[in-house]
Amino acid sequence: MIEFAQVTASYDDDLAVLHDVSFTINDGDFVAFVGTNGAGKSTTMRLINGLLKPSAGEVLIDKMPTTQLKTSELARKMGFLFQNPDRQICCNTVREELLFGFSVQGEVGQAELDRVDALIEQFGFNPDDEPYLLNRGTRQLLALASIIVMEPPVVILDEPTTGLDYRECEKVMGIVRQLNEGGTTVVMVCHDMEVVGDFAQRVIAMTAGQVVADGPTFEVLRNSEVLKAAHILPPQITEISLALNQNCAQLPLPIAQANTVDEMVCALVDVEKGGF
Amino acid sequence: MAKFLEYVPGNSILHRLNPSVKLVCAVLFAIACFVCSNLVFLLIMLALALTLALSSGFGRETAGLCKAVFAFSLILALVILLTTPNGVELIALPWGYIGTGSLLAACTVVVRLMAAAIPLFLVFYATKMTDITNSAVKQLHVPYKYAFTFTSTVHFIPVFMNDMSAIMEAQTARGVEFDTSNIIKKIRLMVPLCVPLLVSSVRKTNSAAIAAEVRGFNLRTRKSGYKDYPIGLLDGMALGVCVLIVVAAFVVSLMA
Repeated sequence: MIEFAQVTASYDDDLAVLHDVSFTINDGDFVAFVGTNGAGKSTTMRLINGLLKPSAGEVLIDKMPTTQLKTSELARKMGFLFQNPDRQICCNTVREELLFGFSVQGEVGQAELDRVDALIEQFGFNPDDEPYLLNRGTRQLLALASIIVMEPPVVILDEPTTGLDYRECEKVMGIVRQLNEGGTTVVMVCHDMEVVGDFAQRVIAMTAGQVVADGPTFEVLRNSEVLKAAHILPPQITEISLALNQNCAQLPLPIAQANTVDEMVCALVDVEKGGF
Repeated sequence: MAKFLEYVPGNSILHRLNPSVKLVCAVLFAIACFVCSNLVFLLIMLALALTLALSSGFGRETAGLCKAVFAFSLILALVILLTTPNGVELIALPWGYIGTGSLLAACTVVVRLMAAAIPLFLVFYATKMTDITNSAVKQLHVPYKYAFTFTSTVHFIPVFMNDMSAIMEAQTARGVEFDTSNIIKKIRLMVPLCVPLLVSSVRKTNSAAIAAEVRGFNLRTRKSGYKDYPIGLLDGMALGVCVLIVVAAFVVSLMA
């Protein structure tokens, strides 16, 4: 469990970038942090894995304050996927890269080798490929694989789909969904509201270092005040449904509340059939 | 506090000086520090450099710089201390001794490096990179290609420092113990990080080179810059003072 209790944080004693932030993330949650650049999302991620310590308040990981834990210790509990995979990759082959986490924590046995082999097969990697010669999407996948191979209970993703094409994005997020379904807590920073709408169960919207909304994904993404405050555009279907709500007086409820293509199509078919 | 070698806007005397004059003065100041080995003279030079830094509002930046240069010069001082037996013997070593002369030489190295480095670094804190480049091209007649290469090199130092710290953070998040207090262990752990740093550096410089090329880098001549950098009375005085300092350094060193 991750708890933020009135957390304020700053870099190098300069102005605070996070002000009085409080929230709790339970085990197994899939939470997306949304907001403009500079809203404090990445800072929040750095606070979660202890790279940054709060200047006031407390960040608790399983009831333990991060001020008492080293980031390298926290690495056993949480995997962190950075925006730029090149900062994470440091080995000469894909296999070595996947084994790196185990070697750092001093536990490379047959079980770990098997885990790496299974993941190589799942991701479709060539184990002898040189990581730096892979394309951007595959490097991002490799960075993700090198984290999930350690099977951490929490995975933090800082803009995991940046620079990926649709196919690569689907692949990365599909794997993340599988992890979450298996019980892993997923905390994600994302600017792509389609991805947020499709995958996250809960959204925390931030602006100017403060939380402006925290709730189920579409509850937050349908709140026009929150959208305005956090300068975010909802997924297209939600946007259509919100626009219809605004312009049609007697809109059937399923259309008014549709958030996904499936929901919208079903609602429209029902309307066409005269169900409303 | 400004980042390492990052320009800080201001209106101090140092800010107002001509960029080329600042560069030449800093070089003359460094020459004077290396010409003379008199510790008192070097201490005066260090005091002058610190006064200049404080009067220009770079106290915190200079303190950080002094710390870094001090740490580096301590290594040199230690080597001198252990390998230059000179003066009255203070501590006997299996291969020689540490004497009063060795101690003086070690102190001289530390003070010299700090005094010589401060004005050079102040130039970058008080001048925009583009002004240094354009002024060097216009007034010192340095070919643009070389002036740009020089300023780009300096410009990339903080960029690479940021990269290195981001890479270290990423590796710490994977469980590498960079947050250990054991310096030896930390240095040993840093060696494999040269790979990602090298890769990101080569990628960045390659991108920068291509970007410059497609924007007509090779078409640029001395006349391409629109801004003029006139040399005024203040610049003349600064140059005069620095020339006098160099002469004084030669005189002191000849007298010794």
